[in-house]
Amino acid sequence: MDWFATNRTMKESDNPSVSQLSRREFFKGLGTTALAAATSQAQSVAQELRKLQAEKVFGPGAVPVTLHVNGKIHRLEVEPRVTLLDALRNHLGLTGSKEGCDRASCGACTVWLDGRAIYACQKLAIDSQGHEITTIEGLAPNGQLTPVQRAFVDRDALQCGYCTPGFVMSVSALLRKKPQPTPEEVIHACAGNICRCGTHPRIVEAALIAAGRPAASTPRTEVISYG
Amino acid sequence: MRPFEYVTATSIETARQLLGANGHYLAGGNDLLGRLKDDITEAVRLVNIKGIGALRHIEPGPDRWQIGALVTIAEIEDHAELRKIFPGLQQAAAEVGSQQIRNVATLGGNLAQHSRCWYYRHRDIQCLKKRGRICYALEGDNRYHALFTGNVCISPVVSNLAIALTALDATAVIWRDGQERRLTMAELYELAWDNPTAHHSLRPGDLLLRVEIPTKRPRSAYLQVSEKHSFDWALVSCAAAARLENGRIYDARVALGCISPVPHQVAAANQFLEGKPLERDVAEKAADLLLTGAEPHEHNAYKIPMARALIRRTLLQLGT
Repeated sequence: MDWFATNRTMKESDNPSVSQLSRREFFKGLGTTALAAATSQAQSVAQELRKLQAEKVFGPGAVPVTLHVNGKIHRLEVEPRVTLLDALRNHLGLTGSKEGCDRASCGACTVWLDGRAIYACQKLAIDSQGHEITTIEGLAPNGQLTPVQRAFVDRDALQCGYCTPGFVMSVSALLRKKPQPTPEEVIHACAGNICRCGTHPRIVEAALIAAGRPAASTPRTEVISYG
Repeated sequence: MRPFEYVTATSIETARQLLGANGHYLAGGNDLLGRLKDDITEAVRLVNIKGIGALRHIEPGPDRWQIGALVTIAEIEDHAELRKIFPGLQQAAAEVGSQQIRNVATLGGNLAQHSRCWYYRHRDIQCLKKRGRICYALEGDNRYHALFTGNVCISPVVSNLAIALTALDATAVIWRDGQERRLTMAELYELAWDNPTAHHSLRPGDLLLRVEIPTKRPRSAYLQVSEKHSFDWALVSCAAAARLENGRIYDARVALGCISPVPHQVAAANQFLEGKPLERDVAEKAADLLLTGAEPHEHNAYKIPMARALIRRTLLQLGT
């Protein structure tokens, strides 16, 4: 475990407020499995983590990483190079966020970091610590669809469905910021999500319906007749 | 991505110390992680600088505004006051990437990003910019490449904010050799004009701290043309900033992006505009001056009429 070795280079005197609590004790206290926590508790955990981790070199081998996902705290052992998307899908079993391009281009991996839409593929898991992460699984924890999800179903705003979690996260983030968006604002907010099936017009409609706006003015697919 | 070490810095001084010989500063990570994934940048260690609070602020002032290097593009786009004072900067920010990118991408990262040339970005191609011997774009597909350059590499600067900040005559403040240095936007990129391996003038270990933007040009605008309507790199971009009095232009600055390894400026064009009425003929004469000496390659001659139209539209937008 490289991080034990590299940790010896840190000086306790650099960070006196932390010296009463060793990393080992702190993580032992967290436990080895996911534990539910109230938000206030999560924030104090995040603050403690920030203090503990400042200016200490981690990796390149697997190191403890603590993520706050959908209201729960998860403790993982991953290398610093592991992306948030890989941590969610391969370590936490949250496979709702999809891997498309792995290059911050397609939007299938869109999650929220502190309520803002981001690409989980272009963010390191270790760099996501101390933030509140919300995935598609966290939008409807009790099984009740949100108005955005309902509108996607009602408007049949998907074909293969691979891009859908990302679109739902982008649209939902927009509606939190702007509850009454114009079609242009929906398109601007979803520009970073790509639907290869070409369902964009239905997605814009669904977003506007979820916002309580009539969708009659949105562009429709032109029907081409052959023969 | 290959394995690397990771450390979070809490101050500018320790960030520099922790960087060591082959480390990289990590902020938004959009450009850096893309390069690491494509194996065109090597990293022994990433130094996360997002904990340095001093780089996060937007500080208004009567004569100049300061914007910290860690301020995100989304914060610039959504800042109501900035939008009024530097509309060109806000328009350039709104055209950066997608919402997901703007939410994490920083001002510093946008200015320091590497070339988007597809030969440079290809993991198997050792081009001139990667210390190889040949610029493959010269004889290859150069539809997105530069019309001007001072060296053999023809990959252009693609930072939207660099173009807007050049027109606004911003100063970049960097941390180099243990002290602050102040660079004009031209100085921030001038190394890329001569040196094919450079993307800007920052040396390993230099850290962008903030930009300072003078408020003396209340009119500014930024326009770009892309292949896609949104979430696309510009084919050509143009920013202009000036003061208008009775329909006449003063202190004008025009800058073009994606046609040169540096933000493209021509002093004669800025001088020509001084005191002129904001009219179509004047804008077209300025465009002539800005594009004199352009050297198109096999696939990018379309950029000349495109740049001409953009210069005209951007200048006329100052009057609206």
